[in-house]
Amino acid sequence: MIRPALVRVRGRSMLPTYRDGDILLVLRGVRPRPGRAHVVRLPPDTSGRPRPLSVKRVTGPDPDAAERWWVDSDNPAEGVTSFDVGSLPAEAILAVVARLVWRPLG
Amino acid sequence: MLSLFRITDVSAHCDLPCGVYDPAQARIEAESVKMICQKVADNDDPDFRVRATIIKEQRSELVKHHLWVLWTDYFKPPHFEKYPNLHTLFNEATKLAGASGTKGEFDESVADQLLAKIEEISTIFWETKKG
Repeated sequence: MIRPALVRVRGRSMLPTYRDGDILLVLRGVRPRPGRAHVVRLPPDTSGRPRPLSVKRVTGPDPDAAERWWVDSDNPAEGVTSFDVGSLPAEAILAVVARLVWRPLG
Repeated sequence: MLSLFRITDVSAHCDLPCGVYDPAQARIEAESVKMICQKVADNDDPDFRVRATIIKEQRSELVKHHLWVLWTDYFKPPHFEKYPNLHTLFNEATKLAGASGTKGEFDESVADQLLAKIEEISTIFWETKKG
């Protein structure tokens, strides 16, 4: 079942697509769509601390493991990506970004 | 967790807790500064001294940069609560790398003081990594 949800972007790693403070409508319960931004759960960091839910672009299946997904930031200067943490399992791709709902003025 | 009735923050940050931080970056640049001071003491060639001056200023600036990254990006409020001298350490260390410190002079003992401050910061850094 498709379930909508609202999220707020925090940080700069999805610039220029999404800015800090943007409110996004996301859809859970759908298959990952390569090329689109998604809400993902990154693996814990090297000290075992959980990372926050993140917004990343799913670029495509992992070439070495077709059931896993490769994620990237839009801003090449910032963000944790699959180049840092490897590809993500399908269950770590929580929702697809459907649209920008609201952007802070200014 | 994700809901239409409550807005969840999703991170698009670069300085996630996984960021790779290590005071060794600042230390290595400070060691360069110290080495430059030693080499200049043994060399009267004016061209060499000019180059050494320029490189020493650049390396000192890099020390400040690496320290500031640790200060602002790695260390978090709970760390400053636990180590109340941390702000002062960073302030003193970056001053020692500044114009009144290694950037402005060729005094090897100042470079040693800078290295000692970085070592103090490094000790705290690695203690926070254990926690």
